[in-house]
Amino acid sequence: MIEALLQTLLNGAASGGVYALVALGYTLIFSVLGVINFAQGALFSLGGYLTYLFLGGKIGVNGALPGWGLPVGLPFWLALLVAALGSGAVGLLVERIAFAPLRRRGAEPLLSLITSLGAGVVLVNLLQLLMGAEGYAFPQGAAGLAHLPESLLIGGARIRTIQVLLLAISALAVAGLSLWLENSRSGKAMRAVAEDATTATLLGINSVAVVRLAFLLSGMLAGLGGGLIGMSVSLAGPYFGISYGLKGLAVLVLGGLGSVPGAIVGGLVMGLAEALIPAEASGWRDALAFAILFAVLVLRPSGLLGRRQLEKV
Amino acid sequence: MIDNGLLVQMILGALLGLSVYLPMAAGQLSLATPAFYAVGGTLAALLSTQGDTPSAISLGAVLGEMLLAAGLTAALALLVGLPVLRLRGIYLAISTIALVEIVRVAILNLPFTGGATGIFGIPQPFQQPLGYVLFSGSLLALAGWLCQRLEASRLGRSMAAIRDDELASRCMGIHTTRVKLTAFVASAMLAGVTGVVAAHYLNTWNARQGSFDVAITTLAFVILGGSRSWLGPVIGGLLLTALPELLRPVGDLRLVLFGLVILLGPVFFPQGLITPALLERLGRWKP
Repeated sequence: MIEALLQTLLNGAASGGVYALVALGYTLIFSVLGVINFAQGALFSLGGYLTYLFLGGKIGVNGALPGWGLPVGLPFWLALLVAALGSGAVGLLVERIAFAPLRRRGAEPLLSLITSLGAGVVLVNLLQLLMGAEGYAFPQGAAGLAHLPESLLIGGARIRTIQVLLLAISALAVAGLSLWLENSRSGKAMRAVAEDATTATLLGINSVAVVRLAFLLSGMLAGLGGGLIGMSVSLAGPYFGISYGLKGLAVLVLGGLGSVPGAIVGGLVMGLAEALIPAEASGWRDALAFAILFAVLVLRPSGLLGRRQLEKV
Repeated sequence: MIDNGLLVQMILGALLGLSVYLPMAAGQLSLATPAFYAVGGTLAALLSTQGDTPSAISLGAVLGEMLLAAGLTAALALLVGLPVLRLRGIYLAISTIALVEIVRVAILNLPFTGGATGIFGIPQPFQQPLGYVLFSGSLLALAGWLCQRLEASRLGRSMAAIRDDELASRCMGIHTTRVKLTAFVASAMLAGVTGVVAAHYLNTWNARQGSFDVAITTLAFVILGGSRSWLGPVIGGLLLTALPELLRPVGDLRLVLFGLVILLGPVFFPQGLITPALLERLGRWKP
């Protein structure tokens, strides 16, 4: 009984870790620009596909090149890293196309919500054009994972090794990001821009570079999340990232927009809450995040750990 | 080229475009249209397939369903809108996406809505597509006329004022919450009624009809057409629904094109196809 509960909680924490990654990606951009990057879900998908490719997975290029794949498979940690970098680079491109022109024109910030949504739609459908709509299962015993046992026994609970890895890697990424924001020079610059972009610029901080850095890191977090979920579950078609992107929004609101600890706590709460839904009601699991989101927006719009925002004129 | 079947879809697209436009005319980015569209369609599908299903249904019964759908979606929009419209900008967009997802999962999981396969054999009020063209065309004409009237009315001008500056319009004595709620409810009713017509026309209905994708395509209608006049979303809806059929060769590129419209439209054509300047040039006829 206790073991079963422990198993549920560990699995919940593992998916909660990935939610936290996605939400942190939103948070970075929201705190420096005050906008949401709706392409985040598509970058998540992209990360999953890139990880699959770099692990040596075969794709079809939609029938044009059946069974095509990279000649080498990287070890999983390297594949995840390279895929995350790839998603980050595309994140930079999204900034260039969907955000920068509007910012230069001083347009209504809400418009970037629409353009980034468009960027996401383009990205996902390009993925579908290149990779086909079908799902891919990751190569069994992918390079560097083959020598690990299939599952581990933790406190009497049996949990898949990949889930432990998922939890560990997301914890590592989250901790690294928090430490960087707290201590490094560039992290401090980012926090300064988040606090007040104009003042930060006057103090000599290159706020354009900080914004780009935020997009790079945010895309990397999404790509890492996509790679991890792909390894642990599978790639269920190019749209699989969209639902994680949408749930990440729920986590973001739950934790409080712009709050880094809020995104982490919100992710864990969401993962655990989903894991605790009984199997009979599993069809409703996808609605839980949005029901929570609604409740938070109505009861406490500033989120669990967010700062109460004053109405700005 | 354009047969009656495609024409019906184009008109339904224009109606959904109008539904997205209405809150936007009051400066509110709401993506809730697919949720209310799904509610209307599901209601029609359920009501008209009770008992031993006839293959035809009277026009009166369809009109009754439309009334019911309008009532139900209006009630739902009031219920949801009151807390949600206090929120602004990003919060409003996010919470309306949440509504779309909740409605989709509910239709997928409720015991009486047919699960993933949905409801089949929805009876038809018309045996020929032409009937649907005339029926949905009249609905569009009515909706367009109402919007035209709205834009010249006190309510419509209040909506425009809120779009331009919410705080200032509140200072001028406009009851902003009431105006925004009215626009949201009208948008929901229009989507619900359109759902009823679509369910009968399509003959089958399932949870996918009201997915997040629909929010994206209908948003594209308004962005392409322009959100400064009701004519914009109508033109956008007609054009973008016809586009994939007219450009059949692009096939899989359809959604990429839609995405490009949403991505590049606000950058290069912030006012869409139907701009105020264009309307000015059309002379005294000013919608």
